[in-house]
Amino acid sequence: MDKAFLIQFTGSMTAVAILVALAALARIGRPSPGLDEARARTLLGEDFPDRNIDQLWIAREGRGALARSGACALVLIQVGDGYAARRLSWGQASSAMFRNGRLNIRLDEMAAPRAVLAFDNWPPKDLAA
Amino acid sequence: MEDFNPVSLAVPFFILAIVLEIILARLGWAKANYEPKDTFASLAMGLGSSVAGLATAGAIVATSLWVYEHRLFDIPMTAVWAWVLIFLLEDKTYYWFHRLSHERRFWWASHVNHHTSQHYNLSTALRQTWTGGVAGTWLLWLPLSLIGFPPAMVAIQKGISLVYQFWIHTEAIGRMPRWFEAVFNTPSHHRVHHARNPRYLDRNYAGILIIWDRMFGTFQSELDAEPCRYGVVRNLATFNPLRVAFHEWGAIGRDLLKSRSPREVALYLFGPPGWSPDGSRETSSQIRARWAKGQGAVSPAAEAETVLTPDGRSSSPA
Repeated sequence: MDKAFLIQFTGSMTAVAILVALAALARIGRPSPGLDEARARTLLGEDFPDRNIDQLWIAREGRGALARSGACALVLIQVGDGYAARRLSWGQASSAMFRNGRLNIRLDEMAAPRAVLAFDNWPPKDLAA
Repeated sequence: MEDFNPVSLAVPFFILAIVLEIILARLGWAKANYEPKDTFASLAMGLGSSVAGLATAGAIVATSLWVYEHRLFDIPMTAVWAWVLIFLLEDKTYYWFHRLSHERRFWWASHVNHHTSQHYNLSTALRQTWTGGVAGTWLLWLPLSLIGFPPAMVAIQKGISLVYQFWIHTEAIGRMPRWFEAVFNTPSHHRVHHARNPRYLDRNYAGILIIWDRMFGTFQSELDAEPCRYGVVRNLATFNPLRVAFHEWGAIGRDLLKSRSPREVALYLFGPPGWSPDGSRETSSQIRARWAKGQGAVSPAAEAETVLTPDGRSSSPA
């Protein structure tokens, strides 16, 4: 490999590491106090404006949420200080693996491989029939 | 002059500007949010883009030179008029490249990574494609060499455009003077371009001059009443640069595997992003139409003509 390229690439990697470290030290991410019900409904409403939310469960410490909307599940996944939302079938969500207080939902997308939500129990006790 | 590369020369400036933006934000003197993992993803995409670009650079240069050998006119690189002309022609080419990259899925797959950050800061500017060479959008610039602009001149002007577009990726600058906002692409105009609000989807494709969007009906001013929410319609749940770079290509592959006709293959590849045969997904124009219906159907023309008052707030002309 070309020596000049290697030097340039190594220098660039170092610059990336320094800038990321600076960003971490600065602590200037968006405030993310964790989701409450109102915030979760707002975020889900932005991504799924036509869907009614029948039931909503907020993950521990507000780090994500899962909603039931008819035959669908709407999931909010915390991504850094933001969120990503996905829709899947309720059956897929309700039958997802629950172990050690974590619900692990496979989303099978390269852009969103899985959603991991911390709940005290699953299925939830207040789940409507 | 043929070795002059504006982007390479600007890299130290890019780094210093990011450092400055972070420091000013930390001191509370400028508006900017940096999330470390997001910053890493953006910078890794930028670095990877430079490396990936090497793979196709030879073919692109060779093709440009071959086209130039068959040029229609001899345009001198030393003439001022030639630089004015290529500035305008390159910028118009960029507009159509950018519009194509948003409105047709094959090219969106290459460009989408630039829009995957939920942040809008100077590091976002460096979140560049790894697959642009393969997607072939560079072909759009070949007519400039066919006309007679030397390939080096085209490359320099493309570089100038890219360098210009770095500084507009910021929330630290509110609005520029009104005359500047009217003619040039600005942080305000480009924030709209990076927003996922239905009103803002697929607007403001400009590179340097915003006049193309005004001419071709894709302009939307930033409204104080509607803050930009950054990212893509379906935000990514990952910061992994490999997933950021290739997720839409993967999604196209999956769709092609389940397609049932040549028409479906064609539309999965070259239809608008979000197209599906059963209508189970939404394209940007469908999202905008649904949103407009909910808003009482404000006409796109009236919407786009929303003007800025001198104090930077928005108002409708009507």
